[in-house]
Amino acid sequence: MAKTILELKNIVKTFPGVKALDGISFQLYSGEVHAICGENGAGKSTLMKVVCGVHKADSGTMIVNGKEEAFGNPLEAYKKGVSIIFQETSLFEEMKVLDNLYLGHEIMKKIGPIPVIDYAAMKEKALEIFKKLNTDIPLDAQVKNLGMAQKQMVEIAKALTFDANILIFDEPTASLTEREVRALFQIIQNLKKEGLGIVYISHRLEEIFEICDRVTVIRDGQYISTKDVKKTNKDELVADMVGRKMGSYYPKKDTKIGGELLRVEHYYDEGFLEDINFYVRKGEILGFSGLAGAGRTELMQSICGLTKKAAGSVFLDGKEIHIRNYNDAMDQGIVYVSEDRGKYGLIVDMSIENNISLPQLQKLRKTLDFLDVKKEKTLAGKYIQEMGIKAPDGEFLVTNLSGGNQQKVSVSKALALEPKLLLLDEPTRGVDVNAKAEIHKIISDLTEKGLTIIMVSSELPELLGMCDRIYVMKDGRIAGCFDKEDATQEAVLSVALESKKEVGA
Amino acid sequence: MKKRTFKFSFNVALFLIWLLLFAFISIKAPNFLKPNYLISVMLRNIIEIGMVALPMTLVIITAGIDLSVGNILVLSCMLGGMAAGAAGDAAGALITLAVGLICGIINGIIIAKVKITPMVTTLATMYLYLGLARGITQGDSVYAFPLAAYLGNTVIAGLPIQIWIYLVLAVVFVYILSKTTLGRKIYSIGLNPNAAKYAGVKTDKILIGIYALTGVICALAALIWLGRFTSVKYDAGTNFNLKVITVVVLGGTSINGGIGDMKGTILGTLIIATLNSGLTVLNIPIDVQTIVQGAVLMVALIAYAVLNDRAKKRKIVAVQ
Amino acid sequence: MKKRSFLTTEFYLFCFLVVIMLLLAVAAPGFYTLNNIMSILNSFSYILISAIGMNLIILTGNIDVSTGALISVVALASAAIGKTGVPFAGLLPAAMVMGALLSTLNGLFITGLKIPAIVATLATTQIFQGVLPLTVEGSIYDLPASFTWLAFKAKIFGVVPASVLICLIVTVFFLLFTRYSRFSKKLYAIGNNRNGARLAGINVDKTVVISYTIAGALFGITALIVATAGQRVTTTMGTGMEMTFIAAVVLGGTSPAGGSGKIIGTVMGAFILAIVAPAINFLGISPNWADAVKGAIILISVVVSAARNIKGRRVIARCAVRQGG
Repeated sequence: MAKTILELKNIVKTFPGVKALDGISFQLYSGEVHAICGENGAGKSTLMKVVCGVHKADSGTMIVNGKEEAFGNPLEAYKKGVSIIFQETSLFEEMKVLDNLYLGHEIMKKIGPIPVIDYAAMKEKALEIFKKLNTDIPLDAQVKNLGMAQKQMVEIAKALTFDANILIFDEPTASLTEREVRALFQIIQNLKKEGLGIVYISHRLEEIFEICDRVTVIRDGQYISTKDVKKTNKDELVADMVGRKMGSYYPKKDTKIGGELLRVEHYYDEGFLEDINFYVRKGEILGFSGLAGAGRTELMQSICGLTKKAAGSVFLDGKEIHIRNYNDAMDQGIVYVSEDRGKYGLIVDMSIENNISLPQLQKLRKTLDFLDVKKEKTLAGKYIQEMGIKAPDGEFLVTNLSGGNQQKVSVSKALALEPKLLLLDEPTRGVDVNAKAEIHKIISDLTEKGLTIIMVSSELPELLGMCDRIYVMKDGRIAGCFDKEDATQEAVLSVALESKKEVGA
Repeated sequence: MKKRTFKFSFNVALFLIWLLLFAFISIKAPNFLKPNYLISVMLRNIIEIGMVALPMTLVIITAGIDLSVGNILVLSCMLGGMAAGAAGDAAGALITLAVGLICGIINGIIIAKVKITPMVTTLATMYLYLGLARGITQGDSVYAFPLAAYLGNTVIAGLPIQIWIYLVLAVVFVYILSKTTLGRKIYSIGLNPNAAKYAGVKTDKILIGIYALTGVICALAALIWLGRFTSVKYDAGTNFNLKVITVVVLGGTSINGGIGDMKGTILGTLIIATLNSGLTVLNIPIDVQTIVQGAVLMVALIAYAVLNDRAKKRKIVAVQ
Repeated sequence: MKKRSFLTTEFYLFCFLVVIMLLLAVAAPGFYTLNNIMSILNSFSYILISAIGMNLIILTGNIDVSTGALISVVALASAAIGKTGVPFAGLLPAAMVMGALLSTLNGLFITGLKIPAIVATLATTQIFQGVLPLTVEGSIYDLPASFTWLAFKAKIFGVVPASVLICLIVTVFFLLFTRYSRFSKKLYAIGNNRNGARLAGINVDKTVVISYTIAGALFGITALIVATAGQRVTTTMGTGMEMTFIAAVVLGGTSPAGGSGKIIGTVMGAFILAIVAPAINFLGISPNWADAVKGAIILISVVVSAARNIKGRRVIARCAVRQGG
């Protein structure tokens, strides 16, 4: 049964100045789900991009279904049976589902000498695939009107239109809800039973143990190990990924917790938030758990005036405050750090200094709106040092920093405002294991200095390790609250999942 | 650090190009070098374009564009001229500036609040302002009133008054863009409007302000323009928009926003001014002048494309 | 998912057109004379032919502001050829080839140097504007009857201008083309997601250049129709036309960012723009107000469609939350 359908031998890929892949070898059998894991920047995605022809390898060979191949672009790869489902979806939003499925390889028929698109044939085949995937997305819907999970389904269906026998999933669950993840896993199981080979790239170790058969670890572009999932464990994998045994993941120090700092009462925004009540105490780290789409980000953004004002009251230090826009929030000492660094958090084409100073230009201005550049440098320099941002100098462009360092700039930017309350939205998303530990330490140190932090995270272990209390959100409501002592992974998850309402698309 | 040296050398390059051009024309046509010609023809003829190019630089740095400037200029000119005819100089000047301001605010509000792309917005308002100018005047010309004539034709301390006005404006705009917190915010909007907003930058207000400012400067230029030509017809602004954009782009401001420099725009103005009057002195027909102008813009674009490519490569090396 | 597919931009435009037509029937009695209708159809035809070309360009997220200058060049060159007595059958392919070549230059310039289309075509505008007056002193006149044949002799059933027939052929061809050709899918894909298109194996640069080439051929047809309308062809024949074409496309619901928009919308956009000037005339309003009315129509239509989009987006966002919750 175990037939090798994809084999990579000694793949090397260098980008100017960086050796991204350094002699990687890999084998995929038919009928298996093979995970590739490694830290951010280890080269997982690069490797798969080489496989499907987005990048060209400098050296090494690739054998697909018994034949040596080198693809020029993903379409060629598709046609030879290798399909990739990209991390960021590569769909065309304004176009119909059917057009998306067959883009670039439309089924043509001839009317006389003229080739025309054969819509009927495409539709028939597409419906067959949808049936296999057990989905009923309308073929003439525009992709922009679909939800994340539906879009991913279209991506998978697109891969299947090529009769591919090798499927590559690049972080497929990053933006899916728990229920959608279940459905996806079911599909992966089915495809596996049909004899397809599946490469599964993921950060989330839990998932690997759930659906994968074997796992290959790469680190710094090098091959480290391939293991049978049943015969390994999490610690072993993490050790392989990091290259050393990790000590404490989450170095939370105990801090003195004071009186109430912020209280939110009867917060309500139609369709997003329903009667939210919660409070946070001085010096506390308060966690918000919940599934994607439970309303956590909406709540945070609403509190600090980034979205339309919701109904309800907010009290700071016992006094009611009215925040109409983000500037009001900053004036009150409430600062938000976005989950999406590239899009909302930072201006990546500006220097580190300019990013840190951007929210407080008012403080750096002198007469005639003159910008005090010296003061800016001192201010930024202080944080670059305190946070341990690794960069040659403050004028270094943020885009050239690693994910972890970018996140540190993002946090510095917030801290430079000297806030009372820091709202951190997914502070460790997309940063590697080492940087994660560093950021956790920073957060812990901050509360020691008396800062209060609300932290939204989708990683339960992170919340359990870091937070003094955890609220669980579901369907725009607060579904439960745990003290540090009674919070366990199972308890929190069961509240987040419990009696989920079935709402149709 | 790298970015700064790159920019610096770019302005120097522009300056050298201008110097070469200037020297070449001076040698070929000795008439050109007469101070009188340089000031009252070369500089005076470019002033309106140069003036509007200043706020246009801000607009383009925010990743916007304003295709309606020429038409704002004409519309404010016409209404101002008519008001002056009916109620005197002061009313004329006031109405001119007010019309410019209103037109600019309309552009700004549609762009910032209704979130329609600047190109489409100003394309539509361009039509609207042109049409209004034509409809209100019924196709007739509007004539200069004393104040406009004064702004268009007076010489103070050896320089035409409009050059003094331009110099003051140029200093102010250089200061705004490179030295103030507002300038920093303008760059941030051009590079990433979302992140700017999430850093508390009031993007909508700033955008509306910039387009309104552009409108006012257009109106100011309109007064000078009306004075210089003594009469203006509704279709006078047709090529004005593109000329202004040419100057700004030639000066190194990226049409994609976020990158640009006011000094570059000033140098770009100077180069186009020298080119225009220089070619006239050399007795080269106006059509060839148009081609040369297009060619200069093309060469500049090619140069930027090559330089940007290099900068990108340098960036990748820096990552390592 | 509820379907609201009939409430499209095209539908609103259609309603708007019907209302205007009815209004004109009541308020401007002289409007529906044969002569007037034919003259409107003629200007509608040449606007639409080029607007379709412009639509192809805008679909990929690009733009062409040099079209007016290009049309002037082609019109003048056609006149120079026509003066030697070459008949229409020779002029048409010549004009199309000239238009295609010049427009291809634009496309190569944009893709080769990765310069935003609006700036690149701004530069070529100036070059086109300057080139022909060099060879011609202002205008070409005393053109022979063989040249003006299209405008004066070529009438279908003795009344309908031949330009209408050309326009009909072009429109039907592109209606089918956008639905049934693989190439048109590529245009939409590029406008939607350039990177995604590249990943899907589409040669983006080549496709963009070809879209300019096709559009150029259509611009050439317009140039010929405009040129043959009289016995004199001037160097400024096409000046400013590009704005009318862009306006027709945008009015027809094509997103200037690319990726969406239908030919049928462009047809209606072109029709509205063609009807404004004569309608105003027959309503007894000075023709000097025509541009203002056009501007107002474009402005209102983009504002309304933007408002609808914002509303739609909000509903979708809410759905997403519901699904997740």
